[in-house]
Amino acid sequence: MKVKLGLRFCVIGGALSMSLLSCPAMAEDVLKFGVSSPMSGAAANWGIGCDWVGQKAVKYINDHGGVRVGGKTYKVQLTTYDNGYTAAGGAQSAQAMISRDGVRYIVQSLGTAPVQATQSLSERAGVILLTTAWGKSIKGPKFPLTFTNSNTPYEIFEPLFSVVRSQHPDIKSVALLNPNDSTGQQAEAQSKEVWAKLGVKVVSSSFYERGTTEFQSIATKLANSKADAVDLGGSAPGDAGSVFKELSVQGWNGVKLYPAGTGSDTLVKVGGKSVEGVYMGQAADFSGATATALQRDLDTQAKHVLHEPLNILQMGVWDGMMALKAGIEKADSIDPRVIAKALPTTTVETSYGPVGYGGKSTYGTPQQLLVPVIITQIQNGNTVEIRRVKSTDVNGS
Amino acid sequence: MVTAMALIVQLALNTLQAGSVYVLFALGLTLIFGVMGVVNFAHGQFFTLGALLTSVLVPALREAFGMGVALAFTFASAISIVAVLALAAVVYQFGFRHYLRDTVGSFILSVGLLLFLEGVFLWVFGGVPRVVPNIAPGELRVFGAAIELQRLVVFGIAVIITVLLYLMLAFTRFGRAIRATAEDAGAATLQGIRDKRTLLYGFMVGSFLSAASGCLTAPIAVITPAVGNDYLIKGFITIIIGGLGSVPGAIFGGLTIALIESVVGYYVDGTMATIGMFCVVALLLLIRPQGMLGHVQH
Repeated sequence: MKVKLGLRFCVIGGALSMSLLSCPAMAEDVLKFGVSSPMSGAAANWGIGCDWVGQKAVKYINDHGGVRVGGKTYKVQLTTYDNGYTAAGGAQSAQAMISRDGVRYIVQSLGTAPVQATQSLSERAGVILLTTAWGKSIKGPKFPLTFTNSNTPYEIFEPLFSVVRSQHPDIKSVALLNPNDSTGQQAEAQSKEVWAKLGVKVVSSSFYERGTTEFQSIATKLANSKADAVDLGGSAPGDAGSVFKELSVQGWNGVKLYPAGTGSDTLVKVGGKSVEGVYMGQAADFSGATATALQRDLDTQAKHVLHEPLNILQMGVWDGMMALKAGIEKADSIDPRVIAKALPTTTVETSYGPVGYGGKSTYGTPQQLLVPVIITQIQNGNTVEIRRVKSTDVNGS
Repeated sequence: MVTAMALIVQLALNTLQAGSVYVLFALGLTLIFGVMGVVNFAHGQFFTLGALLTSVLVPALREAFGMGVALAFTFASAISIVAVLALAAVVYQFGFRHYLRDTVGSFILSVGLLLFLEGVFLWVFGGVPRVVPNIAPGELRVFGAAIELQRLVVFGIAVIITVLLYLMLAFTRFGRAIRATAEDAGAATLQGIRDKRTLLYGFMVGSFLSAASGCLTAPIAVITPAVGNDYLIKGFITIIIGGLGSVPGAIFGGLTIALIESVVGYYVDGTMATIGMFCVVALLLLIRPQGMLGHVQH
């Protein structure tokens, strides 16, 4: 009796094992994509939006035939990991993604500090890393597997500052304020360079810690510098709104720039009338006439689900997913190193339309997806596009 | 160039207004330590909950009952404080009550609570930054300096609460019981002071102060589930500077860090102001570890 029971269990166990063993065949047809973004903390709304857009892109790709490689069709699957917008969080999420879960394609990583932490593992592990981080130092021949999905200070600042200068030719001086992290430090350096090129003197440059809640003294310093313009670099939207509000209270009324402005909604909510006229380089009105039909559709859905419009960083997840799909199919390989070699010469069907890679003159290698630079201004509480700059630096030129 | 007088007045206004909230927050922290011997890292989460609930309830009350901003803020704050006190009662009853005067145990418990509550707040309230409408539109201009009227209102309420707390501790039976328990729990019990009840009420008063400072911060800051973290760090810096368990020390420490933030933030920048605060703490721990107004624990 015991022998028969034991035999029965062996048969059942064997059948179960066979069914489990057959799953890898299914697992082999699934490409695991990852997103590393802040899902907690002050920038959590960015990360939550990134995850939502990513899942939308996954569904779109899977519904439209998946990814075709070597005559085989792969489905894609996306998981978002919380990096808390810190280096420690970036390292932690990288370990979870790469070492624990075997992700080989990171379609979005938000924040220069987390990206640098991720790169220390991804480049060694042969994992392709697409980011929206602003740091120049994360790209180049030393990091062949790293690419950027959206514009950075090196694409944005020159056209943005030029437009502002042309609309306000009396600007002679500017005061800078940036968060004290990799993003802020690199934005500050680029700001100084571009303002100097335009003949505008930087009279003050300050840093603050992310998580700061009191901006009065910071605003006092900016106001008392008597600068014609204030440039808030890589600040978070809530921080920028607070600074502009305090500047207004303390009587400063110059030209306002917020190059990293992605969340115009939050900026207006926090700053109210004081943010009227602010120029931004990273915001877009995806519900407007200049947006594509796809962007308008995603934005409408996002407002319903997330209760706020999409921003360029979040749209970058969609573009990153499409870039990877295009790169995989062009390379006809799922090997990240082979894909990374194919990407610079790939034309990607982004949410903006077809776009290529470039930036060789800035980074040493063409690792920048050259989506348009969209310059906007807050007018009557709304984000209004005033200039769209397309880059001619495509495919490594 | 701005006049020296205008600058001094502006920095003074910045210091007093920011410092008033730091003082209120730190008073709660130091009271809980003084009475219970517990370092409560979850204090920042009570602050956060107060701020989050206020930021949610103000627009909701305005929409539901057509209230003005100031009235909606008053009701929202009252409801938020009650909610925080309910949470505090649960946390005390099922948590801290079992780790009284146990520094290590209470530390582990409070850090765990901090992480748990931060996750819960993010899940319930979401990560989208929240803003409360201006509760007192307008600005006050004096000697060339300017401050929002609502900041003056916040400052005024914080001062009133601090004064009331001082009067309670100094002149009421309950206040004397708290001070006696903080000084020597055994002797206090021998005098007929009910230890367990005093500890509970002391914790609730401390939590009330945290919630109140959160509610007062809601109109003047951008509120997210992480807003309490900055105040928690500053709160600990404050009570180390002033002295653990010292009420006058919390007031001194809160104004000190606000002064450092204002002056160094103006003459250098915000980052150096933060470094300055930590330098002061490090120096004090070396030369006067009990804080400026604290007492040596034997």
